[in-house]
Amino acid sequence: METTDQNNAPVRLKGMGDGLCVSLDPDQPRAFIRSELTRLFQPLKHLAVNARVILDFGEAEGDEGLVDELGVFLKENFGVGSVTQTPKRRGSSEDFVRRRDVDRSWHHYRSDVLMLTGRVRSGQKVTARRHLLILGDVNPGGEVVAGGDILIMGSLAGTAIAGQPDEVDTIVLALDFRPTQVQIGSVVAAGPPPSRRRFPEYAHVEGGHIVVENYMKANPFGRMPWPEVR
Amino acid sequence: MDGKIIVVTSGKGGVGKTTATASIGAALAAEGKRVLVVDMDIGLRNLDVVMGLENRIVFNVVDAVKGKCRINQAAIKDRRIENLYLLPASQSDNKDVLIPEDMIRFGAKIRSEFDYVLMDCPAGIERGFENSVAAADEAVVICMPEVSSVRDADRVIGLLYARDITPKLVVNRIVPDMVARGDMLSHEDIVDVLSIDLLGLVPMDDHVVISTNTGMPLIMQKDSKAGQAFRRIAQRLNGNTDIPIEIPQGQGRFWKRIGTKFGLGK
Repeated sequence: METTDQNNAPVRLKGMGDGLCVSLDPDQPRAFIRSELTRLFQPLKHLAVNARVILDFGEAEGDEGLVDELGVFLKENFGVGSVTQTPKRRGSSEDFVRRRDVDRSWHHYRSDVLMLTGRVRSGQKVTARRHLLILGDVNPGGEVVAGGDILIMGSLAGTAIAGQPDEVDTIVLALDFRPTQVQIGSVVAAGPPPSRRRFPEYAHVEGGHIVVENYMKANPFGRMPWPEVR
Repeated sequence: MDGKIIVVTSGKGGVGKTTATASIGAALAAEGKRVLVVDMDIGLRNLDVVMGLENRIVFNVVDAVKGKCRINQAAIKDRRIENLYLLPASQSDNKDVLIPEDMIRFGAKIRSEFDYVLMDCPAGIERGFENSVAAADEAVVICMPEVSSVRDADRVIGLLYARDITPKLVVNRIVPDMVARGDMLSHEDIVDVLSIDLLGLVPMDDHVVISTNTGMPLIMQKDSKAGQAFRRIAQRLNGNTDIPIEIPQGQGRFWKRIGTKFGLGK
């Protein structure tokens, strides 16, 4: 029970490399924080002298004023060397994404793709949790369902249901695209009228409707500046 | 004797399973093999009529499987073609009187008495199909050049693969002139979708109707193109795999026909 109390204490002190780390809750009254700091630093005596102190406000936002104020307080009373705040963690800003992807972070990415070879025949149903890649054909009456994208390296003549239950950013791509029906998220479209076109096409949602385009001409991902995990 | 049980199936009805079973059975028997054709369409018996043996039925397949009679009591011998026997379906029962386990036991028995056993599978993929397929070693899938037939054949092929049987394909009722005009699927289109080995191509033929109505085996009608096609299919089934697959040719135009009369080309 005591350890739990210790962990939840509003002001805590621990040694960290060549310095001291003080975790504290900035919302507590200043006087209380000061009294707690005094209680923790008093027993350290000469160990605190010239020590590097880092103030950790956890999830909460600590303001610069508080750091300065506590810094002056600690320096005057216990003779510590420097008082700084923990460096702020970066959020998932554009900057961060850019750096991560240029750094090839997919090296450590666990694949979410179900890759199959062969033919999906009439009456058969293939379901993938995320993306689905089939090296083969989907016959009329066959059904392929995925949480993400569906890529068919062959002819797609059955039903393709991508982005389940509600991801409309996904695509359905086939080298020979003549599905019976395509669903992306909750948008449904009947397949194109029969023709003998044999070039890669892909379906995606644009303005609430499913649009089919020549994949090579549209090249939807070719303009992305760097490879990203999808 | 350790014979082979071959199931003739299609999924869809009316594509020519019964005609194919009767013709391939007769052709195999004509090759000198001991052949039994079994009508598995219990409740909707047909094969006996097609083979012209309906007036000689005493026992049926249900009796034979249930052990109420011996196989040689139930099997009707064809008088025109030696070594050809028919095991007719029961007309009064339904498909649920047999279960696949019965058929596996029965299959082991008949395999020892015949070179080839052809099972005429009913339409559909329910109990009748399961019973027909249970004991089969091989399968022949009959398909017509029609989108609906291809769809059903595809489903059946998936089910056969799931039972560890690699089926072979027969495309039936091809009308060459319609294929040439682009109004009918070509056999290449069908093989493209179904992607299994082709066993033969059978053209549309008026002789089939005549043969069915008279009970005269199709293969015994000399000028029946369908009969000849079934003969070749039987030979391929019997191991003569070098026989080339003949693509049905249309009559062509009037002038072409005149030309042929005068010996100008084929």
